[in-house]
Amino acid sequence: MRLLVVEDEPDLLAGVARALRKQGYAVDTALDGEEGLHKAQTTDYDAIVLDVMLPRLDGWEVLEQLRVSKETPVLMLTARDATADRVRGLDAGADDYLVKPFDVAELQARLRALIRRGARRARAALEIAEVLIDTVARTVRRSGEPVTLTAREYAVLEYLAMHRGEVVTRTALYEHLFDDSDDTLSNLIDVHIFNLRKKLGADFIVTRRGHGYCIE
Amino acid sequence: MKVFRSIRWRLQLWYGALFAAVLVGLGVTAYEVEAVSRMGRIDAELERGAFVLNGVARRRGPPPPRKGSTGSPETPTPRPVRSTQALAEALTAADEARGFYYAVWRKNEEPRFTASAGAPPDIPKPSESEPQGVRQRGRFREAFLAPNPGDIALVGRSIELETAEVLRLGWLLAGGGVSLLAIAMAIGWWLVTRALRPIQDISVAAAKIATGDLAQRINVRDGESELGALAGVLNSTFARLEASFAQQARFTGDAAHELRTPVTVVLTHVQNALAEGGLSEEQREAFEACLRAAQRMRRMIESLLQLARLDAGQEAMRHETVDLAALVVDCRELVGTMAAVKRITLTTELAPAECRGDADRLGQIVTNLLGNAIHHGREGGEVRVTTRSEDGAAVVIVADNGPGIPREHLGHIFERFYRVDKARTGTAGRTGLGRAISKAIVDAHGGVIAVESVAGEGATFTVRLPRG
Repeated sequence: MRLLVVEDEPDLLAGVARALRKQGYAVDTALDGEEGLHKAQTTDYDAIVLDVMLPRLDGWEVLEQLRVSKETPVLMLTARDATADRVRGLDAGADDYLVKPFDVAELQARLRALIRRGARRARAALEIAEVLIDTVARTVRRSGEPVTLTAREYAVLEYLAMHRGEVVTRTALYEHLFDDSDDTLSNLIDVHIFNLRKKLGADFIVTRRGHGYCIE
Repeated sequence: MKVFRSIRWRLQLWYGALFAAVLVGLGVTAYEVEAVSRMGRIDAELERGAFVLNGVARRRGPPPPRKGSTGSPETPTPRPVRSTQALAEALTAADEARGFYYAVWRKNEEPRFTASAGAPPDIPKPSESEPQGVRQRGRFREAFLAPNPGDIALVGRSIELETAEVLRLGWLLAGGGVSLLAIAMAIGWWLVTRALRPIQDISVAAAKIATGDLAQRINVRDGESELGALAGVLNSTFARLEASFAQQARFTGDAAHELRTPVTVVLTHVQNALAEGGLSEEQREAFEACLRAAQRMRRMIESLLQLARLDAGQEAMRHETVDLAALVVDCRELVGTMAAVKRITLTTELAPAECRGDADRLGQIVTNLLGNAIHHGREGGEVRVTTRSEDGAAVVIVADNGPGIPREHLGHIFERFYRVDKARTGTAGRTGLGRAISKAIVDAHGGVIAVESVAGEGATFTVRLPRG
């Protein structure tokens, strides 16, 4: 999962990015509205965390311009908790909002819900054949037995599971799982897929030659 | 005597008294002038009669007596009049014509005393020392002339009719005066009412402002008048007052907003650090202390913002029917753990108490009162909650049997950040704004919150909310 965080306070930006990376997300950051909008328009993020008060372009304007071309789920961070502000944010196309100060755990939970909704999955647990993926605890069980995955392996599995039945290209996987700061070689995805097949069964992830991967 | 303190009554009394004095003065003068002039006319007539009579009574009498301007020339008067009989007859004839009576005293001739038939009996002889005079004898007025000591001619008449007339005049004047006074008082009342109306407007507006409705202004009817100018000055004062309150509320709100981001930074980093693990015990404790402080700041920010919104009247309140008894049952669960920790027994005596208001905000008050009662209560003590309806109000009472609140603090207990015990430890996690918020919410509902306490016996908080 790849996220964008737009926040003008560098310390807060660093803290939020760190908290989200810890959860296995690939996180891009932007310090002002213009940069944020540019990144949001050029990359397919799974969700965007957008502060309302931003230099150059405020959160409302970023949201408005983004909605012209993209449906990316947006979570607004606002310093105002007046009802009128929340209504305005939701009306403008924000998918959720969080009032500062917030707890990190709440931000993480709301983002998980947002990403699930973006993938049209209502439940936090994904069950595919004998494999159960708990997106809250970030654990995987196969026939009731815990399976140990690395953070990257889990991220690949979760993304494929979220898009179950769809063919996911290696580029899409690359884009959604690694952020700008990552210089991982693309062929490492093949390594993760290989490891996942070893742990979850050879047929669990199907390779469509020339297209990509798919969980059926 | 509240009536005499009122400006209206004082003006009315002064004005009435002054007007009455003027009326009495004028009336008495008119009465006196009329009475004196009538008496003067009577006296002149009588004196003229006495003069004529004197001539008649003398031996060398002049022509027949003429009485006043309307004298009766045909009256037969023998000349000279000597005989008593003749004199008496002459006098009697004259007497009957005008209602006068005559009396003559003679020194050297008989009869010594002659009176006309209509004369009252026992006319006393006037003092001989005066040559002439007028006297009042009961209802009779008499003029006499004594050219020689002992020879006296007296003319008198009854003034009963005149006295009655003058008396009637007096009553007329008095009646007219009272009516005039009544009319004048009515006009005065109207004038004073008109003059005081701006003051009434000012006092109504000022009273509303005193209860916190800062948007009130005086309706200035006439800006040119003295009171109109005063109202204008007061209005601009009220405007400044409102602006300064608004500024204060805005400042509190802005400051709280500005604190949001830094507190978020602290919370985020501390929570990251704690979640990532790998900390030594000391580091973990330090981060946990930071986390507690940041969470407290966060609650304080929320409280300050809520207060600022309540101050500015921007806190949107719902108007629904709320039963305080049901509210207490809900809030009881929230504070249950806290009470259990201090082994405090929560007893409730809940009668239905319905009022109109915002259930969330009212629940906030009840939770705050319960939380405070448990926090300040004695370990193993008791907190009693009572709800009931009385006199058109819904009442909730929260009483603890803790150490109570010293008398000198009771008046400040609802102030922001006010702490009874300045050195109290155990304030961790408390914002110091709970009671101020409770009061602001109660005020916004048009209710009353009050505290009673006897040191050493506990404190009792009572909230009264209007039913309608």
